[in-house]
Amino acid sequence: MKKSVAVLLVVAIVALGIFSLSGVASAEEIKMVGVITKIDIAGKDAKTATATLKDNKTEKLVVITINDDLTLDKFKDHRIVEGDEIRCKYEVIDGKNVSKLFRKTAGC
Amino acid sequence: MKRTVTIASALLAVLWGAGTWGAEHPGKSQIEKDGYKGPATCEECHPGKTKEFLGTVHWKHASKVDNVDNLDPKKEYGMKNRIYTMCNGNDVVNNLKEIPKNADGKSKFTGCNTCHPGDHLNDVGSTGPAAENAIDCLVCHSTDYDFRQRKPFKNEQGQVVMGQDRSTKAALAIGKPTVKNCMVCHETAGGGVLVKRGFIFSKDTDAHAAKGMVCVDCHKTKNHKIPTGFDPNNWANDGLRVACGDCHGDKPHKSADYNRHTAKIACQTCHIPRTGGAVAKDFTVWEKGSDGFYEPTTLKKEANETVPVYAWYNKTVRNEPHFIGPKGSRKDGKSKIYPFKIYMGKAFYDKKTGQLLSMDFAPPMANGNTRAGVESAARTLGMKDPAAVAKNAVPGWQTIYFGSNHLVTKAKALNCINCHGVNGVFNFKELGYTDAEIKKLTNPEIYFNQLIEKQKEDW
Ligand code: HEC
Ligand code: HEC
Ligand code: HEC
Ligand code: HEC
Ligand code: HEC
Ligand code: HEC
Ligand code: HEC
Repeated sequence: MKKSVAVLLVVAIVALGIFSLSGVASAEEIKMVGVITKIDIAGKDAKTATATLKDNKTEKLVVITINDDLTLDKFKDHRIVEGDEIRCKYEVIDGKNVSKLFRKTAGC
Repeated sequence: MKRTVTIASALLAVLWGAGTWGAEHPGKSQIEKDGYKGPATCEECHPGKTKEFLGTVHWKHASKVDNVDNLDPKKEYGMKNRIYTMCNGNDVVNNLKEIPKNADGKSKFTGCNTCHPGDHLNDVGSTGPAAENAIDCLVCHSTDYDFRQRKPFKNEQGQVVMGQDRSTKAALAIGKPTVKNCMVCHETAGGGVLVKRGFIFSKDTDAHAAKGMVCVDCHKTKNHKIPTGFDPNNWANDGLRVACGDCHGDKPHKSADYNRHTAKIACQTCHIPRTGGAVAKDFTVWEKGSDGFYEPTTLKKEANETVPVYAWYNKTVRNEPHFIGPKGSRKDGKSKIYPFKIYMGKAFYDKKTGQLLSMDFAPPMANGNTRAGVESAARTLGMKDPAAVAKNAVPGWQTIYFGSNHLVTKAKALNCINCHGVNGVFNFKELGYTDAEIKKLTNPEIYFNQLIEKQKEDW
């Protein structure tokens, strides 16, 4: 039992490794700072969400896809809300801007 | 033997916690029936908890401190009143308020005491029935807290109030504090996400998080006293301490070669090889953001992005206007080598006394005028001629050593060659070793056989 779990884990890790490698090879990270104009998240159990950021430099709207649990949780309990300014890094994967870092800029 | 028992029981506690996680808080049905009316609701079944909380560091942001130079042993110190350069304000001089309008005619609320679980009318260190009733129990105990409520606003009398989620819905999700409950405040310490300590507590960054442990599994809380360690910059404490050795003992390794080092080298030195967060800030010059408000200029780094500096530490602290950091030496018989995150902050010093000055953030946040912030703080503190203090203030740098106590790793722990190799992480000379000793400590004779064995195991 324990062994099979371990094996599964190894497989999962190897798979992840391949994924992230190909990610690095094909996509490059884009950085931006912008204000959230809209958050779309489907309920408490959502595993993905999108946020629209207005780029401070270009004033263009950029739709970012967010998949990491920590940030999703911050949308769910409203620690991150529309109007917050965000420092964001993303990669273009299959036409989507997938977030690699999504953090409020202000603090004090 | 003893050690395995402690660990087993700690693990058991974790599993137990996970098991009861789904279990309901026994008070739930009554709270559902009567609604949540603040701490008084909790008091019905947990008498004395509110009064008890008012005596803790989390309410007072201060305590007596006995291991730091140049402090008055009779006074209390903490984020309430400390003056240093990670945050150049504090609860007193940078009290929560609406700041003057900026160039775009916009204002906002700011103040250090936004990280206090009170309502600001009952502020840091307040006492009495009103204070008891103002405690935000749910920010630490609810897993269904709506953070849109935890925001400053002005009431009808024009007073600035810190909001709370006091909904019955939030009070129905009571339990022992989760990582998030603690990180709500601790993640943004120092004025932004991961600025002060740069530690993310997740399975990717911490060996204990990977095992499902949460903050309070180590910070075992008694009557709301939360234990801390001896970070040279965590002065306020509840009188309880936590250390790696509490659970692991001082001989935690299968290998005697590692165990022989624990007398002189702290666990953190090998097991926390990286650090992170802001490395420098300039409080004398603030940068204008896209929203038209100013923030201190800050050089940020990710968790795990920087390497620590190593120094002997005997848990007493040198505290001077331009330096806060560890005291200790190889020879004092009490010190071990610890890893520190080095941070440097630029701020204003008093021309007359050479002491570090503090700052009210409201003026610089609105218009970048940092000397106006110094003047306001000097006035609040009752200094003589605040305008002159601010005008003559001299910019200068302060070096601060922060303890590095999370982001524990086993896989990336330092091994023999990381230290004894020619290009090792230690500067043996600065650590007080003689040339002859260094020659020996950096000779392969020390580690060759062990690493050959390891090489055989690995392949
Ligand atoms: C109707 C009675 C009742 C009310 C009201 C009540 N509790 Fe409890 N609570 C209990 C009982 C019973 C336990 C289990 C025994 C214990 O730990 O005291 C408990 C346990 C707890 C625990 C320990 C949970 C754990 O898993 O370790 C916390 C924390 C707690 N309560 C907080 C609160 C807070 C905060 C409030 C107010 C919002 C509150 N309680 C209101 C009855 C109540
Ligand atoms: C409302 C914000 C807030 C929350 C929530 C919070 N803290 Fe703190 N904590 C602080 C502040 C501010 C300080 C610094 C106090 C000082 O130095 O004056 C602090 C200090 C500490 C300290 C060092 C002082 C001491 O009390 O020993 C520890 C350890 C600590 N917190 C752990 C925790 C843990 C564990 C949790 C979750 C159960 C938690 N904190 C939740 C704001 C918070
Ligand atoms: C700064 C965070 C924080 C705040 C605010 C807080 N608590 Fe707690 N509380 C804790 C921690 C940590 C524990 C220990 C949890 C554990 O290890 O099981 C605890 C434990 C408890 C327990 C169960 C154990 C015990 O000591 O009896 C009760 C009941 C409780 N708290 C009630 C309250 C009430 C009521 C309030 C508001 C007046 C409150 N707490 C505010 C952090 C907090
Ligand atoms: C594996 C045990 C462990 C876990 C889990 C843990 N801590 Fe700690 N923490 C410690 C130890 C040990 C120290 C003090 C070590 C020393 O100074 O020697 C400490 C110190 C601290 C301090 C004082 C400042 C500092 O960094 O030294 C704070 C604040 C703190 N912890 C908060 C937290 C919070 C918040 C969490 C959860 C996100 C957490 N801790 C999880 C073991 C732990
Ligand atoms: C509250 C008890 C407690 C404290 C305090 C504590 N640990 Fe642990 N630690 C544990 C438990 C439980 C495990 C998991 C043991 C297991 O899975 O066999 C663990 C595991 C570890 C591991 C092995 C992780 C792995 O991947 O196998 C290391 C290394 C470690 N701890 C180092 C530290 C260091 C360094 C500190 C101080 C910063 C510390 N611990 C503080 C309880 C503790
Ligand atoms: C000189 C460096 C060094 C020091 C000091 C050190 N460790 Fe370790 N520790 C290691 C290394 C390297 C490993 C991984 C060994 C391996 O993978 O074979 C390890 C492994 C561990 C393990 C997993 C058990 C094992 O034997 O693999 C635990 C638990 C642990 N350390 C806890 C601690 C604690 C607690 C302290 C302080 C009392 C400490 N360590 C001090 C280097 C050190
Ligand atoms: C974190 C850095 C670090 C790591 C990792 C480390 N050492 Fe050391 N080692 C030291 C320091 C510092 C001393 C001197 C301690 C003292 O002052 O007594 C030392 C002392 C020794 C000594 C005693 C030398 C003497 O004659 O005084 C031996 C032998 C040794 N180490 C072997 C090893 C081996 C083998 C490993 C790997 C299994 C290892 N060390 C890993 C830092 C390290």
